[in-house]
Amino acid sequence: MPVPAIELKNITKTFGRVVANKDVSLSAYRGEILALLGENGSGKTTLMNMIAGIYYPDSGQIMIDGNEVVIASPKDAFRYKIGMIHQHFKLVDVFSAAENIVLGLKEKERFDLSKVNEKVRQISETYGFEIDPAKKIYEMSVSEKQTVEIIKVLYRGADILILDEPTAVLTPQETRKLFAVLRRMRDAGKAVIIITHKLHEVLSLSDKVAVLRKGEYIGTVLTKDTNENELTEMMVGKKVSLNIERAEPKDPQDRLTVTKLDAVNREGVKVLDDVSFVARSGEILGIAGIAGSGQRELLEAIAGLQKVGDGSIIYHDPKTGLDEDLRNKTPLEIRDLGVRLSFVPEDRLGMGLVGDMDLVDNMMLRSYSKGRSLFVERKSPKTLAEKIIAQLEVVTPSTSTPVRRLSGGNVQKILVGREIAAAPTVFMAAYPVRGLDINSSYTIYNLLNAQKESGVAVIFVGEDLDVLLELCDRIMVIGSGRVTGIVDGRTATKEEIGLLMTKGGHSEEEAHEEGGEKHE
Amino acid sequence: MKKFIAVLLSLAMILSLAACGSKDETTKAPDTTTKAPETTKAAESTNAPESTQAPAADLSSIKVGFIFLHDPASSTYDNNFYQAALQVQKELGLKDDQFIFKWNVPEGSECQDTAEEMADAGCNIVIADSFGHETYMIEAAKNYPNVQFCHATGTQSRTVNIPNYHNAFASIYEGRYLAGIAAGMKLAELVKAGAAPKVGYVGAFPYAEVVSGYTSFFLGVRSIVPEATMDVIYTGSWFDIALEKEAALKLIGDGCVLLSQHADSEGAPKACEEKGVPDVAYNVSTINIGPNTAIISSKINWAPYYKMVIEAVAKGESFATDWCGTMATGSVELTELNEKVAAPGTKEAIEKAMAELKAGTLKVFDTKNWTKDGQHLTEYLADVQDMGDFKPETNVIIDGAFIESGEQFRSAPYFDIRIDGIDDNK
Amino acid sequence: MSDLKNMDPAPEKAAAPAPAAEEKIREPLFHIVKRADIPKLKAWGIRFIAILLALLVNALIIHWLTGLNPLAVYKSMFDGSFSTKRKFWVLLQNTAMLLCIALAVTPAFKMRFWNLGAEGQVLIGALSSGALMFYIGDKLPSGLLILLMLGAALLSGIVWAGIPALFKARFGTNETLFTLMMNYVAIQLVNTMIAIWVPSGSGVLGIMNSKSNNGWLPTIFGQKYALNIIVVGLLTVFMYVYLKYSKHGYEIAVVGESENTARYIGINVRKVIIRTAALSGCLAGLAGFLLMAGSAHTVSSTLAGGNGFTAVLVSWLAKFNPFVMILTSLLIEFLQKGAGEIAQAFRLSSDIADIATGIILFFIIGCEFFLNYRIMFRHKGKEGK
Repeated sequence: MPVPAIELKNITKTFGRVVANKDVSLSAYRGEILALLGENGSGKTTLMNMIAGIYYPDSGQIMIDGNEVVIASPKDAFRYKIGMIHQHFKLVDVFSAAENIVLGLKEKERFDLSKVNEKVRQISETYGFEIDPAKKIYEMSVSEKQTVEIIKVLYRGADILILDEPTAVLTPQETRKLFAVLRRMRDAGKAVIIITHKLHEVLSLSDKVAVLRKGEYIGTVLTKDTNENELTEMMVGKKVSLNIERAEPKDPQDRLTVTKLDAVNREGVKVLDDVSFVARSGEILGIAGIAGSGQRELLEAIAGLQKVGDGSIIYHDPKTGLDEDLRNKTPLEIRDLGVRLSFVPEDRLGMGLVGDMDLVDNMMLRSYSKGRSLFVERKSPKTLAEKIIAQLEVVTPSTSTPVRRLSGGNVQKILVGREIAAAPTVFMAAYPVRGLDINSSYTIYNLLNAQKESGVAVIFVGEDLDVLLELCDRIMVIGSGRVTGIVDGRTATKEEIGLLMTKGGHSEEEAHEEGGEKHE
Repeated sequence: MKKFIAVLLSLAMILSLAACGSKDETTKAPDTTTKAPETTKAAESTNAPESTQAPAADLSSIKVGFIFLHDPASSTYDNNFYQAALQVQKELGLKDDQFIFKWNVPEGSECQDTAEEMADAGCNIVIADSFGHETYMIEAAKNYPNVQFCHATGTQSRTVNIPNYHNAFASIYEGRYLAGIAAGMKLAELVKAGAAPKVGYVGAFPYAEVVSGYTSFFLGVRSIVPEATMDVIYTGSWFDIALEKEAALKLIGDGCVLLSQHADSEGAPKACEEKGVPDVAYNVSTINIGPNTAIISSKINWAPYYKMVIEAVAKGESFATDWCGTMATGSVELTELNEKVAAPGTKEAIEKAMAELKAGTLKVFDTKNWTKDGQHLTEYLADVQDMGDFKPETNVIIDGAFIESGEQFRSAPYFDIRIDGIDDNK
Repeated sequence: MSDLKNMDPAPEKAAAPAPAAEEKIREPLFHIVKRADIPKLKAWGIRFIAILLALLVNALIIHWLTGLNPLAVYKSMFDGSFSTKRKFWVLLQNTAMLLCIALAVTPAFKMRFWNLGAEGQVLIGALSSGALMFYIGDKLPSGLLILLMLGAALLSGIVWAGIPALFKARFGTNETLFTLMMNYVAIQLVNTMIAIWVPSGSGVLGIMNSKSNNGWLPTIFGQKYALNIIVVGLLTVFMYVYLKYSKHGYEIAVVGESENTARYIGINVRKVIIRTAALSGCLAGLAGFLLMAGSAHTVSSTLAGGNGFTAVLVSWLAKFNPFVMILTSLLIEFLQKGAGEIAQAFRLSSDIADIATGIILFFIIGCEFFLNYRIMFRHKGKEGK
């Protein structure tokens, strides 16, 4: 048996009370792609950050080629030829690809750009990258930026590569290209570690899969010997049903009609361009698109948080039968019109909830202003909090715990629970399952379905096309702030949506540019 | 406190404990082992000769509280008072706990609180050093009629009529005049070398104490160089190093060839040394700051006043509610003359004028020597009676001279005429 | 693997053995780990240890610098506040004033509106009530005058804090600098008014109405400061209830934590900013009034004595809890009184006393770090290779 390129022994890392990694041991070999699989919050990134010198383990050892090493800083990691491509790119926008690649190097050759360009071209040829070394970062798409990051570490001679969720920002087509590159690297004898929580990627790419669950190492299996169900079980710990039940919409009525809506953001960039669609009661309308294509702005425009230009947002009140234009109204005005609009924003702790406040005070956000009293009334919010805790199985020490201390899934349950409790007629949710474990995700899907069945018009912004296809009745695809297509969720394919995603009104680069800035 | 000391000492050493048992009243807490023996020795040695004049028992009942606006470690003004107090303590052989000092007492209710705390602590005399302390000292005096409250530079003792409230000042204008002579001698030398006869003055506020000071200084200069003129800049603050330095540099830039000041920091002397402009200072000798420019300083020595008050209280006698020190009492002094900078003959010129002042043949504010709008004044109403109304009511020009601070009218200065030759609109 | 080497763009580098082989392991001496929430009792234990350590370090430094017996120094520090009834009352009065200003800055700070202008707001409150006492101090009955003075002080405080708030809400100006600059405007305004009021040019106004006591706050229970202290005590309760139980307080908390959330739930953020800053200025104005009518009976630019800034420390140390602020303001005043007493008792420069209080504050603030983080030292019993 060969010596592992990198071996972790009994690594433990804690942040406060949170144990991010507990006694984790695993190995990665050269000429192999290791997928590090685990749900969000299972400690994958933390573990890899310790190899990359960003964190320092509380205890445990790291061996490289059989020798124990100390990696106290990213510089140390470089010396051991470890390169990590983070989810958030660390590039200087106004520099060219080549300049970014040599940034921080000490060798004199960094001043000889032609030499650098030559070397970059050589690396690109070897692994099949497509890149123009002279192109500026701000002109690049997300996938090009990612390429620069990868070349950057290869240029420094990395032979242990770690990629943190590299496909999160890519279209299916771009993902396929990336995988081809990674395979070539493996064939060149490098050790490749890819962090992911997407099972199909694991199965199609990796040679081995190491699974983490709640910070603990569960085990490593050979990819060829395993399957989706086994991996899920390792990840989640118990068998879960992966099917979403999709009922036919009952008596769908137009609830919200958006017509030719335009909006520019604070920098003057057009974020919504001629958007038109209808959301109907008893139906889930999915919104797909590369992150940052205008999804957030669209929902915020409806909720009264984003200023818009031309167009209209007409709400058809089911009670009175009247039409109200919500365009450029404040949330307060919308509420005063009797519009029962619930909104689960993408930024849960920065917008939907207040992290430092406890459950009760967070429940109060929607209701505190009711009544003429000068004082807040905490009794009914407390009852509501208790109800949500019981119904959605929220794990929390008490109702007086700041929500920041809760796990992502529990935070989302609180937020969704509160928004549902407002008995909405329109329910909007932006990336409601991001960062949630599988069980919590399914709780949320079921809640959305329940809303739909009770006649609410649900708008669901998602990133996982598989889920969108399973959950939604119709899927609207937007690219660069434009609607590029609205497809039937029951008949559309992933490929079809993937193509629509990149078919924005503007050039592909621009669409990606915005995506790169805003992607979380 | 004393109980605690006893505990402390018993913890510390048996030797001290014995001392504590017998002399509990007088030993002082922490440094008994190092400092106290010295002070006791000093007390014994100086007490002995003193006892022939005043009974030692009386002095031992004396306890004086000193209130300072700032910390003497950083303020020359407060340090002048502090050094005088230390000198008096030594001369009278008083123990450390008979003189208590409180720094950084603002000109607000804190002053009254501190004064009353001192009275509570058994002080029979409380002395404050800053003009703004006055009204709070008066309030404290009302509440503690058996304690003497003394306030330097104040103006109200003659009008509030509280027997235990006292003001004190000195005829510092005489010192200023003499310092002005030294400046004049230097100016004459500079004029001879081709300079314009223009001097500059950095003042704090356009207040009588300052006006009186710079006018007497200027008259001293003029007694040597009759054609001299003077520019004055006010900083609007009693203590501001940066502002005072800035003002001095402005004056130098405006063509002043010699400077003096009445503000409490080292800003102006430093600027003078930088620019090589001769300077006459106040309160302290500035030769260490300006070895090549400092000529001389005038200052009030508060020791005679302190001594007078302490001895009066010790004897149970009353003393003036408004006291003005003079050259005769040793309250007005000049610091060491910097021969290196001063013009030749300065010492003799000063000594001559001093003798004439003492003899009364020379009067600083002799109306012959100055004019206001071209006129020699024969009558001037000054606001001597401080009723808080700022209304002048007393004619202070008598027998051809402006009678400045003294026993006759009031100790604190009230000369607030801008005489010809001085421009204070700078 | 060796046959794949040629494909590597930097084969010689890739093939080189990892540098670890030649080098010694350089594990850092310690690293810092965030703590879980620690039990209250343990937290107070750590704070107690911090104070003990501070006293110990102080003792060593004092002894080293001055040769004095540290115990005697601590004793006199204690004497500064507690040796006489008067000193105790003065301690309470000064604490009340500091606390009042701290209460004033608290709602603004809780809203993340960095009001560094309390000093100026206090001064302007004192100036406007002082102006009334100066101009009509003998023309109105005392009670009416006091009410007018109070109104003027509150109003001027509101204006002084309201201006920066208005600019922030309208134009997004930086309130930190703006409020700071307003301090200097207030100081100059006070100096200018005094120059006008006092034609002799001394720059000292002195006690006003010392004979009639018109416009002075009444002495109750025979204590001239008792009323001030009671007012601030009530204010403390009010502020606690306001922040914790009122809708306004809730809005302040939401805006402070996240403006996005505030917008999301339909709070008018501008309105809350202006309203809260106005309240902040209003209470600072009240402090100015209490200083002017309740203790100093004069106006001077040093009236607030830097408490406008110390109050920020008080509020912050107490994590914006009004009741805890009683403790923190008491601590700071106690230290200041103690420092003065030490300087007096041992004839030391006030610098030494300031060093001593500085050390104590350093430890108290520093221990908050240890409440949040743990220091892990180099792993023990580990073999090199």
